[in-house]
Amino acid sequence: MDAAAAEVLKGALAVIGYGLAAIGPGLGIGVLAGNAVQAMARQPEAAGMVRTTMFLGIAFTEALALIGFVLFFLA
Amino acid sequence: MILAFECDAENVAMCAPENVSDLFVFHPLFPDSELLSWMTRTHVLMVLAAFLAIGLMYFGLRKRRLVPTKFQLVAESAFNFVDQGIAKDVIGHGGQRYTPYLLSIFLFILFGNLFEVTPLVNFPITSRMAIPAFLALVTWFIFVIAGIAKQGLGYFGHLLWPPGVPVALKPLVGVIEFISTIFVRPFSLAVRLFANLVAGHVMLSLLLGTAGIFIWGFVQGDLGFGKALTGGAWFLLGVGIFVFEILVAVLQAYIFTLLSAVYIQTSVHPEH
Repeated sequence: MDAAAAEVLKGALAVIGYGLAAIGPGLGIGVLAGNAVQAMARQPEAAGMVRTTMFLGIAFTEALALIGFVLFFLA
Repeated sequence: MILAFECDAENVAMCAPENVSDLFVFHPLFPDSELLSWMTRTHVLMVLAAFLAIGLMYFGLRKRRLVPTKFQLVAESAFNFVDQGIAKDVIGHGGQRYTPYLLSIFLFILFGNLFEVTPLVNFPITSRMAIPAFLALVTWFIFVIAGIAKQGLGYFGHLLWPPGVPVALKPLVGVIEFISTIFVRPFSLAVRLFANLVAGHVMLSLLLGTAGIFIWGFVQGDLGFGKALTGGAWFLLGVGIFVFEILVAVLQAYIFTLLSAVYIQTSVHPEH
């Protein structure tokens, strides 16, 4: 195929790749935040610690989605 | 700051440069001067963020009164947030030694990220990879050297083989743990901060820039009303993302500092 079509295909594959990569962290963050809300509802006095740990967990899972985003720009 | 690319406003739905990294190009501020031709807006903003961080603490806490003035209250809250909420809560005893470092990176990254949403600047310094990479490198040195200082060379023994690993699995677990702690931690720390800010900057530049070009073109009579409505839609989305960016700026500064504290804690108190 000629060069222009290859460029468009590369761009399209990069977008699809990022879309697939965002499924996992999306599910992960949803599960994590849901469990954090449940924990805070069960024991409101532990809410501060639960909130801090929730942010920590969200940072780890979101890093994967963001690495995918950066690789999208690299391709 | 300046939309320096050409845009064919008639035919496209959104104005985007050919290569998105054109949005992050260095423009020298004084291209004709012999002495200062290297200076770009990133240098100026970086020094400004450092001065803002130092100035907040210095001027806020200079004349401390028992009943605090408002500025002293702000400085004290910022200090307490990092000292109590991050250093002492996460690292535990012995955590206060790391408070100066954690406070410095928290304030520097906070002001650096907030430059994304200040009106005339709109460029976060942490969207250039050198700055998050260097901060992550410093954190990495601190947690490795703190671990070696606390536990001697047995630090690597504890690192590679956490207690309770069966002997047959030790080589595999050793490799995985080594790569995870020595390479992935600083890398992910830097990339998390960098990619969040890059994503925000790209979205804000494209959305608000396109909205500006379309609506200005409509006001000047070059474009039709349909384009103005599209511009209005991009503008509303841009305003939404703008508010979200403020949250992301503060959150990313907090998460960088929190994760640095967690890594230091695993080096200094390995029994947890």
